[in-house]
Amino acid sequence: MEKLKKAFGACLVPLLSILLAFLIGGIIMAALGADPFVAVKFLFQGAFGTKAGIGTTLTKATPLMFTALCACFAYKCGVFNLGGEGQFLMGSMAAFLTCYFTGLTGFAGIVLALLAGALAGGIWGMIPGVLKITRGQNEMIISIMLNYVATLLMGVIYTSWIRDASVPQTPAIDEAVHLPRIVSGMRFTWGLVIAIAVGLILYYVLFWTNAGFRLRAVGYNMTASRFNGIPVGRYMLASFIVSGAIAGLGGSAELLGTQFRLINGFGAGYGFDGVAMALIGQLHPIATMLVALFFAVLRVGSTTMQAATGVPTSVSDIIQALVIVFSVAGMALTKLPEFEAWKNRVFGKRKEGAA
Amino acid sequence: MEELLRMEHISKRFGNFYANQDINFSVAKGEVHTLLGENGAGKSTLMNILIGLYQPTEGKIFLNGQEVRIDSPSQAVKLGIGMVHQHFMLVEAMTVFDNIILGDKHAKGVFIDRAARRKEIEALSEKYGLDVQLDKLITDISVGEQQRTEILKALYHGAELLILDEPSAALTDIEVEGLFAIMHKLIGEGKSIIFISHKMREVLRISDRITILRLGKVVGTVNRADTDGQKLANLMIGKELTESQYEKIDASGAEVVAELDHVDFNKESKHSGLSDLSLKIHAGEIVGVAGVDGNGQTQLAQLITGVLAPDAGEVHLKGKRVAVFDPNGFIEHGVCHVPEDRNLQGLIGDMSIAENLVLKDADDARFSKGRGLLLKKRAIGDYARRMAEKYDVRCTSVDQSVRSLSGGNQQKVILARELENDPALLVMAHPTRGLDIGATSFVHEQMIGARERGVGILLISADFDEILEMSDRIVVCFEGGIMGEFSGKNPPVEEISLAMTGK
Repeated sequence: MEKLKKAFGACLVPLLSILLAFLIGGIIMAALGADPFVAVKFLFQGAFGTKAGIGTTLTKATPLMFTALCACFAYKCGVFNLGGEGQFLMGSMAAFLTCYFTGLTGFAGIVLALLAGALAGGIWGMIPGVLKITRGQNEMIISIMLNYVATLLMGVIYTSWIRDASVPQTPAIDEAVHLPRIVSGMRFTWGLVIAIAVGLILYYVLFWTNAGFRLRAVGYNMTASRFNGIPVGRYMLASFIVSGAIAGLGGSAELLGTQFRLINGFGAGYGFDGVAMALIGQLHPIATMLVALFFAVLRVGSTTMQAATGVPTSVSDIIQALVIVFSVAGMALTKLPEFEAWKNRVFGKRKEGAA
Repeated sequence: MEELLRMEHISKRFGNFYANQDINFSVAKGEVHTLLGENGAGKSTLMNILIGLYQPTEGKIFLNGQEVRIDSPSQAVKLGIGMVHQHFMLVEAMTVFDNIILGDKHAKGVFIDRAARRKEIEALSEKYGLDVQLDKLITDISVGEQQRTEILKALYHGAELLILDEPSAALTDIEVEGLFAIMHKLIGEGKSIIFISHKMREVLRISDRITILRLGKVVGTVNRADTDGQKLANLMIGKELTESQYEKIDASGAEVVAELDHVDFNKESKHSGLSDLSLKIHAGEIVGVAGVDGNGQTQLAQLITGVLAPDAGEVHLKGKRVAVFDPNGFIEHGVCHVPEDRNLQGLIGDMSIAENLVLKDADDARFSKGRGLLLKKRAIGDYARRMAEKYDVRCTSVDQSVRSLSGGNQQKVILARELENDPALLVMAHPTRGLDIGATSFVHEQMIGARERGVGILLISADFDEILEMSDRIVVCFEGGIMGEFSGKNPPVEEISLAMTGK
């Protein structure tokens, strides 16, 4: 009963937020002169209607899952890693350089590039972690700043060091290190499988191991964790490193599976998208992955919607933004005692007597 | 003397709990009237009513003989009531001058006539000897100067009645002298002061009258001239000695489970440090630490549980010297801790009762496979249900978040976790604060049970009755040191309360 109540509380906000966002989005569509039901139908048809569409949606969802899981894991430990994007980029750079310089191909090359990406992301995540724990610096500011460092570093690589003739981009990596597709005719690759595996592992670690249990305890209440003998600093640092490694792994998977080269705009915005998705997913790894998939649907489907009904893709952006706004507002709302009382009424529970 | 403020029959109820009950309190013009009482005696509630943060459940407030309703802090300011909070309410990144004129009611238009305001403030500062550097940033001035800024601000906003909440807590001795000089000047000019403190010496020096609160009620109002530290201490902590229902034990022959040897911590601060403190706790005894709150008890509890590391001196657990100060190391040596703030330090409020119960040992084979690699959730749930029954935790389910429990039940969760770890030393800081009678006696029964199993218990409490009731041995904490040690059997109450005031 108690678990059901918790699950109910956790699902209510995201689902209601999505409904409300679509409601308002529908009103905007109607105001633009389109039939909202038709527009939404095309939105989903674009994302799921064809085999290629599904492939594109899943491809789009993959990097979002990685950055969302990166944010999710850090927040579970109570640290705010806003550097998902930088860690993602460092991962993609490390993967690219590994392929470019070692020339390894095939399975060994792929695994090495992925590991290099995870390592680079982990190191990039470790920097704000170390500065926070040893020097008390604000991890949010440092991780954001490191995003710029990573973006600019990538810029140096594709404009100067390893430029593809006169185009500001690097040459593409060898086809032999591309992540293979799983289903022919659909674009998504083993990167998706890795993302889902990471999500499942995070779920297991967070909810089924002592380490995850303690990590969540640190996230909820650092002082009490310390009083109860949990090495708080070590857990926070570990969560920074792991969270960075997840984003880095995502960056390398994106490079090996989708982009193949470093180029202007690589991974732009993924970091902050990930933060929003983790929050909408209530910091639950599996829910977070579903939210990432949902956002990919909105992004992929909106082009079809625009082509078919003339509703601009920006309406889809508005819906995405509204989901975020409603979720955040909803989470604040559920913290109110009135909400708790209402929930208890719904579940017909009498308030326990004061003892 | 002419009366400025009168509060009549003030009661404030939270749920079933009376924070203030039928309080009568008055302040005359040109008087320093002290409110004396332990933490939780109701001083803050009463003052929050006076400055409009709370509305009284019952009672009336009169200012200059007229009944007033104070429904907001700005209303209080308008009526000439100014409060200097213990933790200053200043904008650190702004200058002293800007802080003082913040929220200014004199300003008529959009613009501030800074020159005129400045002249006014300088005149006030001169008149009361409130020496401040108007153009310095708050972050760049001393705590004493910040306090003067607060007082100046209150006066600038027209305060006739100043409430000073523990004003000396953060000050050095010299700054306290300066503060007292200012207070004398203020009352000389006809202002009135409500002084909140539990430092006996200061109270006796500065007050005209003293009102003692205890458990939300007024115990008495006395003139400074008619009292002394002894009498005040007795009033404050309640003097009647009731025979303890527990047998007192002499465990001086038993093993020493913990020893502090000439320990210093943050020695300069008399109220949040320890200096040259030595203490032994034997197996199977309850050592009670009496003392007015804020004489180092918090630091003592955290030091003997590894949360804080001493600056000098040694700590021994079961005869072994501790080298590394870290709570986990202490836990492994059998030190358990019921901390003073159960929500902040003891429990993970958003986690379930079951999770909180196994917080320290989820990697134990009972609760997980492979030393924590796979939690046995069913075993944890079963264990939690057993504990909930054994420790009488009243809940609908052990999956319920611990935050949703009442204070007494939260404390039982902590007790269950700490006692089931089979401690050698149990440190309990204010274990029954805020608990009702039933929960309190449950905690006490558990303590006696643990003592009989050979656990050494360090009980820190501001509730003097609890110390007398439970302790086999009583030590008194005063300004970071041990002021005396007394037997728990037929304790010399007079001597102990004297020791608590530093004599």
